[in-house]
Amino acid sequence: MSVCQWLQDTYIGTSIRESIWVFPIIETIHVLALSVSVGLLLVSDLRLMGYIMKRRPVSEVYEQIKPWMFIGFAIMVVTGIFLFWCQAVKAYNSYFFRAKVVLLVVAAVNAIAFERGIYRKVEKWDNALVPPMEARVAGWASLILWAAIITCGRTMAYTF
Amino acid sequence: MSSLVPFFQWCDDSSVALAIRNSRAAFPVIENFHLFALTVLLGSIVVLCLRQFGLILKTQPISEVATALRPWNRWALAVMLTSGVLLFLSEAMKCYGNTSFRVKMLFLFAALLFQFTIYNRTVKHEGLSAPLGGKIAAGVALCLWFGVGLAGRAIGFLG
Repeated sequence: MSVCQWLQDTYIGTSIRESIWVFPIIETIHVLALSVSVGLLLVSDLRLMGYIMKRRPVSEVYEQIKPWMFIGFAIMVVTGIFLFWCQAVKAYNSYFFRAKVVLLVVAAVNAIAFERGIYRKVEKWDNALVPPMEARVAGWASLILWAAIITCGRTMAYTF
Repeated sequence: MSSLVPFFQWCDDSSVALAIRNSRAAFPVIENFHLFALTVLLGSIVVLCLRQFGLILKTQPISEVATALRPWNRWALAVMLTSGVLLFLSEAMKCYGNTSFRVKMLFLFAALLFQFTIYNRTVKHEGLSAPLGGKIAAGVALCLWFGVGLAGRAIGFLG
Protein backbone atom coordinates (compact mmCIF):
# COMPACT_ATOMS: atom_id res chain seq x y z
CA MET A 1 0.00 0.00 0.00
CA SER A 2 2.71 2.49 0.96
CA VAL A 3 4.62 1.27 -2.09
CA CYS A 4 1.61 2.27 -4.23
CA GLN A 5 1.47 5.68 -2.56
CA TRP A 6 5.20 6.19 -3.14
CA LEU A 7 4.88 5.05 -6.76
CA GLN A 8 2.13 7.47 -7.67
CA ASP A 9 3.92 10.31 -5.86
CA THR A 10 7.04 9.85 -7.99
CA TYR A 11 7.77 12.44 -10.62
CA ILE A 12 6.52 10.25 -13.49
CA GLY A 13 3.35 9.22 -11.65
CA THR A 14 2.43 12.81 -10.83
CA SER A 15 3.27 14.10 -14.32
CA ILE A 16 1.05 11.53 -16.05
CA ARG A 17 -1.83 12.11 -13.64
CA GLU A 18 -1.70 15.89 -13.86
CA SER A 19 -1.21 16.24 -17.59
CA ILE A 20 -4.33 16.80 -19.68
CA TRP A 21 -3.05 14.80 -22.63
CA VAL A 22 -0.70 12.11 -21.43
CA PHE A 23 -3.18 9.90 -19.54
CA PRO A 24 -5.81 9.82 -22.35
CA ILE A 25 -3.10 9.14 -24.96
CA ILE A 26 -1.58 6.27 -22.97
CA GLU A 27 -5.01 4.82 -22.27
CA THR A 28 -6.05 5.04 -25.92
CA ILE A 29 -2.86 3.24 -26.99
CA HIS A 30 -3.57 0.63 -24.28
CA VAL A 31 -7.10 -0.01 -25.61
CA LEU A 32 -6.10 -0.09 -29.29
CA ALA A 33 -3.16 -2.43 -28.60
CA LEU A 34 -5.57 -4.58 -26.63
CA SER A 35 -8.03 -4.89 -29.49
CA VAL A 36 -5.25 -5.73 -31.93
CA SER A 37 -3.46 -8.32 -29.80
CA VAL A 38 -6.59 -10.00 -28.46
CA GLY A 39 -8.08 -9.89 -31.97
CA LEU A 40 -4.99 -11.72 -33.27
CA LEU A 41 -5.20 -14.12 -30.33
CA LEU A 42 -8.82 -14.83 -31.29
CA VAL A 43 -7.79 -15.89 -34.79
CA SER A 44 -5.11 -18.30 -33.56
CA ASP A 45 -7.41 -19.63 -30.79
CA LEU A 46 -10.19 -20.23 -33.32
CA ARG A 47 -7.77 -22.33 -35.38
CA LEU A 48 -6.80 -24.22 -32.21
CA MET A 49 -10.46 -24.86 -31.46
CA GLY A 50 -10.99 -26.11 -35.02
CA TYR A 51 -13.36 -23.39 -36.21
CA ILE A 52 -11.47 -21.49 -38.92
CA MET A 53 -8.67 -22.09 -41.46
CA LYS A 54 -9.08 -25.83 -40.82
CA ARG A 55 -7.17 -26.87 -43.91
CA ARG A 56 -4.07 -24.98 -42.83
CA PRO A 57 -1.57 -26.49 -40.36
CA VAL A 58 -2.08 -25.18 -36.82
CA SER A 59 1.60 -24.31 -36.40
CA GLU A 60 1.57 -22.28 -39.64
CA VAL A 61 -1.30 -20.07 -38.45
CA TYR A 62 0.01 -19.85 -34.88
CA GLU A 63 3.67 -19.12 -35.65
CA GLN A 64 2.86 -16.39 -38.17
CA ILE A 65 0.44 -14.58 -35.90
CA LYS A 66 2.53 -14.93 -32.74
CA PRO A 67 5.16 -12.19 -33.30
CA TRP A 68 2.46 -9.57 -34.03
CA MET A 69 0.49 -10.69 -31.05
CA PHE A 70 3.54 -10.24 -28.84
CA ILE A 71 4.19 -6.74 -30.17
CA GLY A 72 0.60 -5.89 -29.17
CA PHE A 73 1.00 -7.52 -25.74
CA ALA A 74 4.29 -5.68 -25.15
CA ILE A 75 2.66 -2.30 -25.93
CA MET A 76 -0.23 -3.24 -23.65
CA VAL A 77 2.07 -4.18 -20.76
CA VAL A 78 4.20 -1.04 -21.07
CA THR A 79 1.19 1.32 -21.31
CA GLY A 80 -0.53 -0.66 -18.56
CA ILE A 81 2.44 -0.16 -16.22
CA PHE A 82 2.34 3.62 -16.80
CA LEU A 83 -1.42 3.70 -16.18
CA PHE A 84 -0.92 1.80 -12.91
CA TRP A 85 2.03 4.02 -11.98
CA CYS A 86 -0.06 7.18 -11.86
CA GLN A 87 -3.13 5.65 -10.17
CA ALA A 88 -1.49 3.00 -8.01
CA VAL A 89 -3.48 3.55 -4.81
CA LYS A 90 -6.89 3.56 -6.50
CA ALA A 91 -5.94 0.51 -8.56
CA TYR A 92 -4.64 -1.36 -5.54
CA ASN A 93 -7.90 -0.71 -3.70
CA SER A 94 -10.04 -1.85 -6.62
CA TYR A 95 -11.27 -5.47 -6.51
CA PHE A 96 -11.56 -5.44 -10.29
CA PHE A 97 -7.87 -4.54 -10.59
CA ARG A 98 -6.89 -7.36 -8.26
CA ALA A 99 -9.07 -9.80 -10.19
CA LYS A 100 -7.51 -8.55 -13.43
CA VAL A 101 -3.97 -9.22 -12.19
CA VAL A 102 -4.92 -12.72 -11.04
CA LEU A 103 -6.61 -13.45 -14.39
CA LEU A 104 -3.55 -12.16 -16.30
CA VAL A 105 -1.35 -14.57 -14.35
CA VAL A 106 -3.76 -17.45 -15.06
CA ALA A 107 -3.79 -16.52 -18.79
CA ALA A 108 0.02 -16.54 -18.83
CA VAL A 109 0.12 -19.93 -17.08
CA ASN A 110 -2.39 -21.27 -19.60
CA ALA A 111 -0.26 -20.04 -22.53
CA ILE A 112 2.96 -21.49 -21.06
CA ALA A 113 1.25 -24.81 -20.26
CA PHE A 114 0.05 -25.01 -23.86
CA GLU A 115 3.50 -24.25 -25.32
CA ARG A 116 5.27 -26.68 -22.99
CA GLY A 117 2.54 -29.33 -23.21
CA ILE A 118 0.48 -30.38 -26.22
CA TYR A 119 2.13 -27.89 -28.60
CA ARG A 120 5.49 -29.70 -28.26
CA LYS A 121 3.93 -32.63 -30.11
CA VAL A 122 2.23 -30.41 -32.69
CA GLU A 123 3.65 -32.30 -35.67
CA LYS A 124 1.39 -35.20 -34.70
CA TRP A 125 -1.80 -33.13 -35.01
CA ASP A 126 -0.70 -30.16 -37.09
CA ASN A 127 -3.04 -31.00 -39.98
CA ALA A 128 -5.99 -32.11 -37.86
CA LEU A 129 -9.21 -30.31 -38.86
CA VAL A 130 -10.13 -30.29 -35.19
CA PRO A 131 -7.08 -30.38 -32.85
CA PRO A 132 -6.99 -32.67 -29.78
CA MET A 133 -9.00 -31.89 -26.67
CA GLU A 134 -6.06 -30.45 -24.72
CA ALA A 135 -5.39 -27.86 -27.44
CA ARG A 136 -9.10 -26.95 -27.76
CA VAL A 137 -9.38 -26.47 -24.02
CA ALA A 138 -6.32 -24.17 -24.06
CA GLY A 139 -8.00 -22.13 -26.83
CA TRP A 140 -11.30 -21.83 -24.95
CA ALA A 141 -9.55 -21.01 -21.69
CA SER A 142 -7.53 -18.25 -23.31
CA LEU A 143 -10.61 -16.62 -24.89
CA ILE A 144 -12.69 -16.80 -21.70
CA LEU A 145 -9.80 -15.45 -19.60
CA TRP A 146 -9.22 -12.52 -21.96
CA ALA A 147 -12.92 -11.68 -22.06
CA ALA A 148 -12.84 -11.59 -18.25
CA ILE A 149 -9.64 -9.48 -18.25
CA ILE A 150 -11.25 -6.94 -20.59
CA THR A 151 -14.37 -6.83 -18.41
CA CYS A 152 -12.34 -6.26 -15.23
CA GLY A 153 -10.20 -3.62 -16.91
CA ARG A 154 -13.18 -1.68 -18.23
CA THR A 155 -15.14 -2.01 -14.99
CA MET A 156 -12.27 -0.83 -12.75
CA ALA A 157 -12.17 2.38 -14.79
CA TYR A 158 -15.79 3.15 -13.83
CA THR A 159 -14.86 3.16 -10.17
CA PHE A 160 -11.95 5.60 -10.65
CA MET B 1 -26.69 21.13 -37.83
CA SER B 2 -29.10 22.63 -35.32
CA SER B 3 -32.04 21.19 -37.31
CA LEU B 4 -30.99 17.82 -35.91
CA VAL B 5 -31.55 18.87 -32.31
CA PRO B 6 -35.19 17.64 -32.16
CA PHE B 7 -34.06 14.23 -33.39
CA PHE B 8 -31.31 13.99 -30.74
CA GLN B 9 -33.79 15.19 -28.10
CA TRP B 10 -36.27 12.52 -29.20
CA CYS B 11 -33.55 9.85 -28.90
CA ASP B 12 -32.60 11.17 -25.48
CA ASP B 13 -36.24 11.01 -24.29
CA SER B 14 -37.02 7.58 -25.75
CA SER B 15 -38.09 4.80 -23.42
CA VAL B 16 -34.96 2.76 -24.27
CA ALA B 17 -32.74 5.69 -23.30
CA LEU B 18 -34.62 6.14 -20.03
CA ALA B 19 -34.39 2.45 -19.22
CA ILE B 20 -30.60 2.45 -19.77
CA ARG B 21 -30.14 5.62 -17.71
CA ASN B 22 -32.28 4.28 -14.87
CA SER B 23 -30.27 1.09 -14.57
CA ARG B 24 -26.92 1.08 -12.81
CA ALA B 25 -25.63 -1.95 -14.70
CA ALA B 26 -27.03 -1.41 -18.21
CA PHE B 27 -24.50 1.13 -19.50
CA PRO B 28 -21.35 -0.69 -18.29
CA VAL B 29 -22.69 -4.04 -19.56
CA ILE B 30 -23.55 -2.64 -22.99
CA GLU B 31 -20.21 -0.85 -23.18
CA ASN B 32 -18.43 -4.08 -22.37
CA PHE B 33 -20.11 -5.80 -25.32
CA HIS B 34 -19.17 -2.79 -27.44
CA LEU B 35 -15.54 -3.32 -26.39
CA PHE B 36 -15.63 -7.09 -27.04
CA ALA B 37 -17.02 -6.45 -30.51
CA LEU B 38 -14.37 -3.79 -31.12
CA THR B 39 -11.68 -6.34 -30.26
CA VAL B 40 -13.05 -8.93 -32.68
CA LEU B 41 -13.70 -6.35 -35.41
CA LEU B 42 -10.28 -4.68 -35.25
CA GLY B 43 -8.58 -8.06 -34.83
CA SER B 44 -10.20 -9.49 -37.97
CA ILE B 45 -9.38 -6.34 -39.95
CA VAL B 46 -5.78 -6.21 -38.74
CA VAL B 47 -5.19 -9.89 -39.64
CA LEU B 48 -6.60 -9.39 -43.13
CA CYS B 49 -4.65 -6.17 -43.70
CA LEU B 50 -1.39 -7.73 -42.47
CA ARG B 51 -2.12 -10.57 -44.90
CA GLN B 52 -2.54 -8.07 -47.74
CA PHE B 53 0.71 -6.38 -46.79
CA GLY B 54 2.29 -9.84 -47.08
CA LEU B 55 3.38 -9.94 -43.44
CA ILE B 56 1.46 -12.97 -42.11
CA LEU B 57 -0.22 -16.20 -43.33
CA LYS B 58 1.76 -15.84 -46.55
CA THR B 59 0.95 -19.34 -47.79
CA GLN B 60 -2.82 -18.75 -47.78
CA PRO B 61 -4.45 -16.92 -50.70
CA ILE B 62 -5.89 -13.55 -49.65
CA SER B 63 -9.44 -14.57 -50.59
CA GLU B 64 -9.17 -17.64 -48.33
CA VAL B 65 -8.16 -15.55 -45.30
CA ALA B 66 -10.96 -13.11 -46.07
CA THR B 67 -13.54 -15.93 -46.27
CA ALA B 68 -12.38 -17.44 -42.98
CA LEU B 69 -12.66 -14.10 -41.17
CA ARG B 70 -15.81 -12.74 -42.83
CA PRO B 71 -18.45 -14.20 -40.44
CA TRP B 72 -16.49 -12.93 -37.41
CA ASN B 73 -16.10 -9.53 -38.96
CA ARG B 74 -19.83 -9.30 -39.77
CA TRP B 75 -21.02 -10.49 -36.37
CA ALA B 76 -18.66 -8.14 -34.60
CA LEU B 77 -19.92 -5.28 -36.75
CA ALA B 78 -23.54 -6.15 -35.94
CA VAL B 79 -22.87 -6.26 -32.17
CA MET B 80 -20.81 -3.08 -32.44
CA LEU B 81 -23.55 -1.12 -34.22
CA THR B 82 -26.36 -2.43 -31.99
CA SER B 83 -24.54 -1.73 -28.73
CA GLY B 84 -23.32 1.58 -30.16
CA VAL B 85 -26.87 2.71 -30.96
CA LEU B 86 -27.98 1.81 -27.42
CA LEU B 87 -25.07 3.71 -25.85
CA PHE B 88 -25.83 6.68 -28.08
CA LEU B 89 -29.56 6.70 -27.19
CA SER B 90 -28.78 6.79 -23.49
CA GLU B 91 -26.78 10.00 -23.85
CA ALA B 92 -27.87 11.46 -27.17
CA MET B 93 -27.88 15.09 -26.07
CA LYS B 94 -24.39 14.74 -24.58
CA CYS B 95 -23.21 13.29 -27.89
CA TYR B 96 -24.78 16.14 -29.87
CA GLY B 97 -22.45 18.73 -28.39
CA ASN B 98 -19.45 16.42 -28.46
CA THR B 99 -16.92 17.13 -31.23
CA SER B 100 -15.26 13.72 -30.84
CA PHE B 101 -18.64 12.06 -31.40
CA ARG B 102 -19.10 13.95 -34.67
CA VAL B 103 -15.58 13.03 -35.80
CA LYS B 104 -16.25 9.41 -34.88
CA MET B 105 -19.47 9.32 -36.94
CA LEU B 106 -17.60 10.75 -39.95
CA PHE B 107 -14.89 8.10 -39.60
CA LEU B 108 -17.52 5.39 -39.13
CA PHE B 109 -19.48 6.31 -42.26
CA ALA B 110 -16.25 6.63 -44.25
CA ALA B 111 -14.98 3.25 -42.94
CA LEU B 112 -18.26 1.44 -43.70
CA LEU B 113 -18.58 3.03 -47.13
CA PHE B 114 -14.97 2.24 -48.01
CA GLN B 115 -15.18 -1.33 -46.73
CA PHE B 116 -18.37 -2.27 -48.55
CA THR B 117 -17.53 -0.58 -51.84
CA ILE B 118 -13.81 -0.68 -52.52
CA TYR B 119 -12.08 -2.73 -49.81
CA ASN B 120 -14.22 -5.86 -50.06
CA ARG B 121 -13.35 -6.10 -53.75
CA THR B 122 -9.63 -6.07 -53.06
CA VAL B 123 -9.85 -9.01 -50.65
CA LYS B 124 -11.38 -11.23 -53.36
CA HIS B 125 -7.87 -11.47 -54.79
CA GLU B 126 -7.02 -15.17 -55.13
CA GLY B 127 -3.27 -14.82 -55.45
CA LEU B 128 -0.64 -15.05 -52.75
CA SER B 129 0.58 -11.49 -53.15
CA ALA B 130 -1.71 -8.45 -53.16
CA PRO B 131 -1.29 -5.88 -55.94
CA LEU B 132 -0.28 -2.36 -54.90
CA GLY B 133 -3.92 -1.22 -55.03
CA GLY B 134 -4.89 -3.91 -52.52
CA LYS B 135 -2.09 -2.87 -50.17
CA ILE B 136 -3.13 0.78 -50.35
CA ALA B 137 -6.77 -0.18 -49.75
CA ALA B 138 -5.67 -2.21 -46.70
CA GLY B 139 -3.75 0.80 -45.35
CA VAL B 140 -6.74 3.11 -45.87
CA ALA B 141 -9.14 0.63 -44.22
CA LEU B 142 -6.80 0.30 -41.21
CA CYS B 143 -6.50 4.07 -40.81
CA LEU B 144 -10.27 4.58 -41.06
CA TRP B 145 -11.11 1.91 -38.47
CA PHE B 146 -8.38 3.08 -36.10
CA GLY B 147 -9.80 6.58 -36.56
CA VAL B 148 -13.17 5.28 -35.38
CA GLY B 149 -11.53 3.72 -32.33
CA LEU B 150 -9.45 6.80 -31.49
CA ALA B 151 -12.33 9.23 -31.83
CA GLY B 152 -14.54 6.85 -29.85
CA ARG B 153 -12.12 6.80 -26.95
CA ALA B 154 -11.85 10.59 -27.18
CA ILE B 155 -15.64 11.00 -26.63
CA GLY B 156 -15.17 10.20 -22.96
CA PHE B 157 -11.99 12.24 -22.52
CA LEU B 158 -12.24 15.35 -24.65
CA GLY B 159 -15.89 16.17 -25.24
